[in-house]
Amino acid sequence: MSGGVVLYAAQSNPPIDAEIAEKGRFRTKTETGIDTLKTNKSVWPWHFLTIAILFMMVAGLWVATKKIDYTWRWNRIPQYFFYHDETLVPAPFDGRVASLSQNGNTTQIKLTGEDDEEKVFRVDSESVQVSENDDLFQGDSLGSTFQWRAGPLMVGLWNTLWISAAASVIGMIIGLVTGLCRVSNNPTLRSLSITYIELIRGTPLLVQIFIFYFFLGTVLDISRIIAGISALAIFAGAYVAEIIRAGIQSIPKGQMEAARSLGMNVPQAMVHIVLPQAFKRTLPPLAGQFISLIKDSSLVSIIAITDLTKSGREVITSTFATFEIWFVVALLYLMMTSVLSQVIAWVERRLAISD
Amino acid sequence: MIKTVDLKKTFIGRGQTVYAVDGVTSHIKPSEVVVVIGPSGSGKSTYLRCLNGLETFTSGHIMIDGIDLASKKTDLNKVRREVGMVFQQFNLFPHKTVLENIVLAQKVVRKRKRAEAEEKARMLLQKVGIAEKENEYPIRLSGGQQQRVAIARALAMDPKIMLFDEPTSALDPEMVGEVLEVMKQLAREGMTMVVVTHEMGFAREVADRVLFMDQGKVVEEGTPEHFFTAPQEERTKAFLRQVL
Repeated sequence: MSGGVVLYAAQSNPPIDAEIAEKGRFRTKTETGIDTLKTNKSVWPWHFLTIAILFMMVAGLWVATKKIDYTWRWNRIPQYFFYHDETLVPAPFDGRVASLSQNGNTTQIKLTGEDDEEKVFRVDSESVQVSENDDLFQGDSLGSTFQWRAGPLMVGLWNTLWISAAASVIGMIIGLVTGLCRVSNNPTLRSLSITYIELIRGTPLLVQIFIFYFFLGTVLDISRIIAGISALAIFAGAYVAEIIRAGIQSIPKGQMEAARSLGMNVPQAMVHIVLPQAFKRTLPPLAGQFISLIKDSSLVSIIAITDLTKSGREVITSTFATFEIWFVVALLYLMMTSVLSQVIAWVERRLAISD
Repeated sequence: MIKTVDLKKTFIGRGQTVYAVDGVTSHIKPSEVVVVIGPSGSGKSTYLRCLNGLETFTSGHIMIDGIDLASKKTDLNKVRREVGMVFQQFNLFPHKTVLENIVLAQKVVRKRKRAEAEEKARMLLQKVGIAEKENEYPIRLSGGQQQRVAIARALAMDPKIMLFDEPTSALDPEMVGEVLEVMKQLAREGMTMVVVTHEMGFAREVADRVLFMDQGKVVEEGTPEHFFTAPQEERTKAFLRQVL
């Protein structure tokens, strides 16, 4: 429902809105209908203008980068996602090459040692460095095998993904529990949850990560990765708790009363009646929170966790392709967040059947 | 069946003590239909909500089937299973289908098997006349249909007593009839009912006894004939002049 309202607001004509607001006139359905018709007629020049402005901004940037001394090397980027790794195959002992037999792209090399021991190796056909009856010493190269391996950007992307996922799940659990404590009748639970929420929301995440790593990491002897994930989870939990609280409080009191009047106790009513409805309502703000969490996870690179941001920095130190890498890193974050928001939009549509 | 003794409920707001229910004593017998009427703010809804523990009361006693709600040992959840309630705003669960609305509490509270609960739900939907809507979500039903589902939901718990809190006040006029019809049928079947309502016609036709409340007190009570034809108290006469 709210989506529709937002859509309308975005399409409506601001000057007409202002005019109507000025006169304090009540807008009837026919009036808004006419408004929408008008804007529908004249909306494409505005789209054109939008595209033109974006194009000019990009063109301006391009001209500006032309003026500085920077060589773009986009071709160097792909190898930091995946690369073809060469492994040299050395001879394990002094001996002689007994036979070579090519089989497609691989070649089998049979080696016989001085005391008649035999060994078979498989290498890439193009990399074969020996021929039949060659005498070899231990450590001489026979050839190489090739393998596709994930480059630093891929590794960083994967780390960012699972760190964010772990922190999201833990943060959701912490947030749910805290949110329930926040609306509970027990003063201790309420005060504790408020203290936690205020502490976390009142301090910067970066500082929290430092405290988790340097202080808690030392005192409790936890690894950097655990420290990083806990800091993110506890940070997200505080915000999730407030979202959950708002969600629970937005459900009409009558729902709880109806459930109680049927003989359910408070936990049953919460689980079956209030929380499912609250979850549906809080999905959009929760989505925002978890999207933020993916982005905030870039801060754990400061305690030397090899996430996407840290990988990006490492690649830059070896390539000096600063501009390209940061654009690529930004694009990867954008891809993760948009996939998440698509997934949540899908869940939202699924849940909308009872509206 | 329901005995209330000197029931008092006070709110303290801005340093003032407000008596929402001020010393109500009554005895409702099994199979009796008691209609509570009175001007708004007279405490009739609060009184009704006290009867199944949705409101806590300040002093006095409520005995439901011999169980004292004022006692700390009483498990209110157990009492509420036996006391069904129908609300002004229906309060159906919007995220569940009509059938699920009726099945849920049977499963969770009464621990019935799904098949058994569904059978019961379908039987009750038939009874309230909307068997064909079992797979709809509440939002797609009219107010009258929603309220009938709410009645079926309460009945599914096999309550000994049914409480109705202005069940027709939020309905379009043309839908009032269908809900009252279901309530009349219930009364004929011998259900013990306490009904807070503004439907004087219903009170006159169905009630065994009418309670008239004002400012938290029962001003007058009696049979409908007595109440509507020969009221004794000035306050009652004034009220009836306004509403009839």
